[in-house]
Amino acid sequence: MKNQRWLRKVRISVALLFFSGFIIIFSDVTAKLPWELTVSFTYFQLIPSFIRFINVGGVLATGFIIILFITFLSGRVYCSVFCPLGIMQDILAFLRRKIPFLSKMKLRFKKPLNILRYSILALFIISLFFTGIISVNLLDPYANFGRIASNLYQPFFIAANNILSKILMAVGISSIQPIIQKIFYPLPFLFGLTIFLLISVMVFFRYRLFCNSICPVGAILGLVSKVSFLKIRINSNSCTRCGNCQVVCKTNCINIKNLTIDESRCVSCFNCITSCNDESIGYKNTWRSFGAKSLETTSSSKRDFIKAGLLFFAVQPIFANTNDDHDYEKGSKGRFCQRGPISPPGSLNIEHLKDYCVGCQLCISVCPSKVLQPAFLEYGFIGMMLPRMNNKTGFCNYECTRCGEVCPTGAITALTKEQKETVQIGKVYFKQNLCIVESEGTACGSCSEHCPTQAVHMVPYKNELTIPEINPDICVGCGACEYACPVEDPHVAIWVIPNKVHEKAQKPQIQEQVETGEIEDFPF
Amino acid sequence: MKRRDFIRKSVVASIASGALFSMGKWNSVIAAGTNHSLPFDMIAVKNGEPAAMFAEAMKAMGGISTIVRPNQTVVVKPNIGWDASPERGANTNPELVGEIVKQCLVAGAKKVTVFDNTCDEWTRCYKNSGIEKAVKDIGGQIVTGKDQSHYHKVEIPKGIILKETKVHELILESDVFINVPVLKHHGGASVSFSMKNLMGVVWNRHYYHANGLHQCIADFTTFCKPTLNVIDGYRVMKRNGPRGVSVNDVATMKYLLVSKDIVAVDTAATKIFGIDTERVKHIGLAEELNIGTTNLDSLNIKRISI
Repeated sequence: MKNQRWLRKVRISVALLFFSGFIIIFSDVTAKLPWELTVSFTYFQLIPSFIRFINVGGVLATGFIIILFITFLSGRVYCSVFCPLGIMQDILAFLRRKIPFLSKMKLRFKKPLNILRYSILALFIISLFFTGIISVNLLDPYANFGRIASNLYQPFFIAANNILSKILMAVGISSIQPIIQKIFYPLPFLFGLTIFLLISVMVFFRYRLFCNSICPVGAILGLVSKVSFLKIRINSNSCTRCGNCQVVCKTNCINIKNLTIDESRCVSCFNCITSCNDESIGYKNTWRSFGAKSLETTSSSKRDFIKAGLLFFAVQPIFANTNDDHDYEKGSKGRFCQRGPISPPGSLNIEHLKDYCVGCQLCISVCPSKVLQPAFLEYGFIGMMLPRMNNKTGFCNYECTRCGEVCPTGAITALTKEQKETVQIGKVYFKQNLCIVESEGTACGSCSEHCPTQAVHMVPYKNELTIPEINPDICVGCGACEYACPVEDPHVAIWVIPNKVHEKAQKPQIQEQVETGEIEDFPF
Repeated sequence: MKRRDFIRKSVVASIASGALFSMGKWNSVIAAGTNHSLPFDMIAVKNGEPAAMFAEAMKAMGGISTIVRPNQTVVVKPNIGWDASPERGANTNPELVGEIVKQCLVAGAKKVTVFDNTCDEWTRCYKNSGIEKAVKDIGGQIVTGKDQSHYHKVEIPKGIILKETKVHELILESDVFINVPVLKHHGGASVSFSMKNLMGVVWNRHYYHANGLHQCIADFTTFCKPTLNVIDGYRVMKRNGPRGVSVNDVATMKYLLVSKDIVAVDTAATKIFGIDTERVKHIGLAEELNIGTTNLDSLNIKRISI
């Protein structure tokens, strides 16, 4: 319909707005933006929002209800305008049209891969509630986008920023500061690259194959959009079966033979409406005429759904076994600083983090202190790519609460500065015989210097030297002492032993006001 | 400074700078400090606001133009090591830094740049110390001290332990270097004044801590002599330094010390802080290296009470 062509333009505009937003929040490496801005983009992400709802609740967790409502009204517009991974695929599809040999390969109606789609959905739902969150992490579109943005996009952004900064500095402009808050790791980069390449391949051969055969959000919203108020419909009286619409369709869901549209796969991109020369396809209220038209895949889809369920229960035990649990206590009993991972303040305990984190790495992207790094196997297999504190690369800023503020699922709960001051993620441990002051007999104090609570403080030692003394009760586990310790052989002399379940740190005793010591005249 | 001392130091310095000159690219740091003669060896001010005390000191010195000539480049190195507000006394007073930058610009400096190799995350330190704003408002530049590519290897021939290190290019290239520490307690080095503040212009501080902190601090002064040292004693952190735990660690003492002699100015600071100069090992070690004198009685000190 000619008068509905504006729909596509609106879709593209809103999608680009959202996508730019996501690029901006993942570029905020020094946490300069207000966290409310970051949250306003992640708020609409279905799975993170739902996890937040069952985890902490609250106003910030209502996004998924709005999304379900929008889908109920107007189909899967979520997939076209709110989902960053969906928009990324649309951008890739746009690029595909610019590649000659690929654009020659026209895509037409394809049968849905329903068994795969609903098996994955079933696996996803069960694992969401029962077996830990591994499949959620691997399948959630937002989390996948996050890993691409954090591991693949961000290094390029930083490199570009730093080159530009160098060029401007050379001509005497210091308005762009170099970014040195991040460390490049090849492994997460490869991880991000792999996801990106897999999705690109799917886009180049079948557009939004991911969204309609793997993505659990696509499957859920597909089920909702079957009964949605507004749907794309073809007018069989005026249609000339030219096939324009099925070529531009992003999900290959238009069946030109039967003039039906599989609305469980349609993402409401409105390309078909714009492509139609006969004004025979439009966005219509379908409740008025519900049941008038038989839906193409209803019955087979129901059958597939049951088959998928059976298949799922057959494979479930395999996945249930992956919910392994490393014995961190055993680790910390080992010699020296053998120990488990430290989870960020606000994550309550390692199990909580593993249960609720989808691994989008937004916290890692915005951590200004280099301390949050993606885990490899420190949390076990299912904790891959989750945030962990790495005191070798940085230490947690005492006053910074950014990771919890931006976390979309509440896996890292938001803390105020005052709350964070009493959260103890680990306890300081000091090995005096390794300390410079004892082994070399020279002054140091690097650890105490960095300690925000003076849980590590210097006390008198031989020859007017001072040596660290620790008070683990007031230690918050920020890792500044460990980071600052200059001892390298065999390793640092002071380090943080993780609290697998975070504890409450006592507040440092605020000493009385020092005497100003008013001196009448100059003391020299 | 007595004339004899001055001649002795000039000779030492010119030999040193000659020796450094033959060593390659980076040699300007000592030379920069020896070109000006000031009416006093040290100026001590008390009982004023930070900016006003500096203005008084400069008036006594005959204006900042005695050290900053038109079209020269100036680097100002305050202590911005910590993510803490000005009231905590962990960083140099922002009003003082702003006033120094302003006076340099008024004197016709081509460019005034401020930086520190911070301990906490640098953008938060720059912001929460108030120094970034103070510098930018007045028209100075503030750049990161955390970019390793800005640091260049230098040799320190007179160093006893510290034989070489990497120094920020602004220190190496600028015509004038103004060192602006804050007067405070330090758990490891006992106090942190002018000499300790110079640890913020080198890249690898771990080396100092691992190999003899006091000697390394003293060794570095044989290479790097600021044109002027300005010690901010407005808010003095008396314990739990250098970071401090709360504002209760801070006493408002309203002092300001200005001198070219880094040993003398740190000696005077020990008197204000209330610690025996002998207990601050790096001061004595630097005196042994002929960097300056701890004998304040031998100096011509101008004392100003506002």
